[in-house]
Amino acid sequence: MIEKALKGNRSYWIWTLFLGALVASGLSAYYQQRWLGLTVTGMGREASWGLYTAQFTFLVGVAASAVMVTLLHQKELTKTVIIALFMAASATLMSILFAVADMGKPDRLLNIIFYTNPRSLVFWDLLFLSGYLATTLTAGWAMLGAEKKGVPPPAWVKSLLNLSIPLAVGIFFATAFLYGGLPDLSLWVTGVLALRFIASAFAAGMALLILVTLIVKKTKGLDTGKEAREKLAMVATYAGVANVLLLGVQFFTTFYGNAPLLWFSLIAGVVSVAILLIPASRKSQQWLVAACTALVLSVWVDKSAGLLIGGELFPAPLGSIVTYAPTSTEMFVVAGIWSFGSLLFTALLKVVVAVKAEHRG
Amino acid sequence: MKSRKLLWLVTFAAISLFAAFYLFSNGEAETPQKPLARVSVVDSTKCIAPKEFMRANHMQVLHGWERSVVRDGDRVHIASNGSRFQKSLGTCLGCHNNRLFCFSCHSYANVKPKCWNCHLSPMETQ
Amino acid sequence: MMNEQRREFIKKTALGVFVGLGAASGLVPAFSLEKTALPVWDEKPVPGKIRWGMLIDTRKCKEGCQQCVAACHHEHNVPAFKNRREEIRWIWKNSYKNVFPTADNAGASKEIQSRTFLSLCNHCADSPCTQICPTGATFKRWDGIVEIDYHRCIGCRFCMPACPYGSLSFNWQDPRTAIVDPVTAYPTREQGVVEKCNFCSDRLIKGLQPACVEVCPEQALVFGDLNDPASDIRVLLESNVTMQRKPELGTKPSVFYII
Ligand code: SF4
Ligand code: SF4
Repeated sequence: MIEKALKGNRSYWIWTLFLGALVASGLSAYYQQRWLGLTVTGMGREASWGLYTAQFTFLVGVAASAVMVTLLHQKELTKTVIIALFMAASATLMSILFAVADMGKPDRLLNIIFYTNPRSLVFWDLLFLSGYLATTLTAGWAMLGAEKKGVPPPAWVKSLLNLSIPLAVGIFFATAFLYGGLPDLSLWVTGVLALRFIASAFAAGMALLILVTLIVKKTKGLDTGKEAREKLAMVATYAGVANVLLLGVQFFTTFYGNAPLLWFSLIAGVVSVAILLIPASRKSQQWLVAACTALVLSVWVDKSAGLLIGGELFPAPLGSIVTYAPTSTEMFVVAGIWSFGSLLFTALLKVVVAVKAEHRG
Repeated sequence: MKSRKLLWLVTFAAISLFAAFYLFSNGEAETPQKPLARVSVVDSTKCIAPKEFMRANHMQVLHGWERSVVRDGDRVHIASNGSRFQKSLGTCLGCHNNRLFCFSCHSYANVKPKCWNCHLSPMETQ
Repeated sequence: MMNEQRREFIKKTALGVFVGLGAASGLVPAFSLEKTALPVWDEKPVPGKIRWGMLIDTRKCKEGCQQCVAACHHEHNVPAFKNRREEIRWIWKNSYKNVFPTADNAGASKEIQSRTFLSLCNHCADSPCTQICPTGATFKRWDGIVEIDYHRCIGCRFCMPACPYGSLSFNWQDPRTAIVDPVTAYPTREQGVVEKCNFCSDRLIKGLQPACVEVCPEQALVFGDLNDPASDIRVLLESNVTMQRKPELGTKPSVFYII
């Protein structure tokens, strides 16, 4: 089936080449980082986590939230399931790549398996992520293969999908409490953080999925259905409201209010949720696109800026607020990994579209 | 006659024990930089394992040493013939004191062990 | 007091010496590294029997003196990166506000608040750093020392924010470029791993006191077994008012301060 990704029109190839170029520059930046050490990033003693960790957190949320489509198990969503699975797989792969990019000794990655520390949430998180990657990718591919042959998917796909649900839940909990477990955060902050991680994940994940289905519809004429998008928008709205409320709470209880980027995040969040709450604007495609874009941006900025101010989400242990500014090397690596994930997702979507077109035709 | 001999023996043993303890504790207390005792046997005719075995398995042996010393504090290697060795790179290099011992083979086989990333290699010292 | 403490050491070590007479030592040629000294504990240690601890009498510690810091960093090949972002430290001096941020400042005099205090890894009995480490590279030893296994660390740095005392440093680049006066008796670290104070576990096996304790001209530092009621440190802990850093977090530090 994969050969279907090798056929495409002009804009498809421009897009893939563009992504490929970014991957290449990311690789060369990463090579530099491997050679010289993480000193080429903007991270340092007090701000020991940076952009990579931010992308990791964001993508983990997006990946795990895609499980909602399986979970809802509704007729309207049947056409969306494969796309959601592939989005989950690509996002999971990217998140793992970001975790690896952040390591000082990635060549020792397998030490996590050789010498497991079962008390460590980091270990569980990476374990769940790998499992989730395997299940979503396999299930999506098998479903697609079945569709190509015009037969119902084999029975084990169902069990795989069922397995992906606890894995996603595990990812949510491990990640949320991974950050929550840092001792300098009070219990209150911890609780809010964990809840907000889950809420923002569903908001951004569903919004992104809506955008993807709209892009597929526009460029390839494959429509997964307006009703499906409405269902997803509903989930995004609920999650978005919860996220905005919790973010607001954090503005009052911490010094989030001092960071301009977080103000942007809050305002973008409020505006997008408002658009989604008004039935008239939710039904209009333009407004839906605007709201979803704003929602994704809001969450992404919040995940990144929460780190950029250094002092809140990951407080420097000695109470000092250290400013952290990513370097260009770091940004190239980030762009490279994003492009790699997008490339994979594009290829997978291409196969989906081709199979569905064949089936229709 | 017999009892006299025994007395001498006991006295001698007591004195030497006392002296040993005194010397040792003094040496330790006054010049703490020195190793605790200089009495030792590094017998270069003794090997921790046969040559052929070591040639093929020295990495596993070293890895095992590293693990048991760092993780369990188990610092003494007992060879199959009962002789005891301290688990340390220094023990190896004590006998294999040709500075090129590790390097000649490794460069021939084109392997790059990571030991010397942290442990100073014989090549880097005088 | 010093002598008593040495006796305590010798008591612990005497047995080991007789057992260890056969072990290799001494005769190692001059070029070799990390010389094989006769180990004091050459038997498999009993987990949990000893818990090493330190008491810092900050009244004796002289303002401006850096001897312990210099001795430790020299002895362990700690690189001297100048910029703050990449700084690596095992023991250092810091202000009252930073060392005891959660202590009640109202109770501290101006004099105390203006002094600097030694900080180092607390070798916590309930250590968040070991709990979060996905590979067990940071681990609690049989003798209470929280050690980092540099062979195993993958450099994920989760331990850094997990430690509430900022005790861990990361090697952002190859540390060997910044080691001023390298010693051959102890290894260096490599690019990409974290490092911190090891309570001189390398010296303890030779029956020595930690380098900082030994070098301090004011004898402001006392080191010993917290599990032994007769040890100097226990006696001093019982006869003085001491405090730990951020005790409210429940990490149970093994480093105590007399203010
Ligand atoms: S002080 Fe920090 S690094 Fe040391 S044991 Fe405690 S938590 Fe771990
Ligand atoms: S950086 Fe090393 S010691 Fe710290 S948590 Fe990661 S693997 Fe463990």
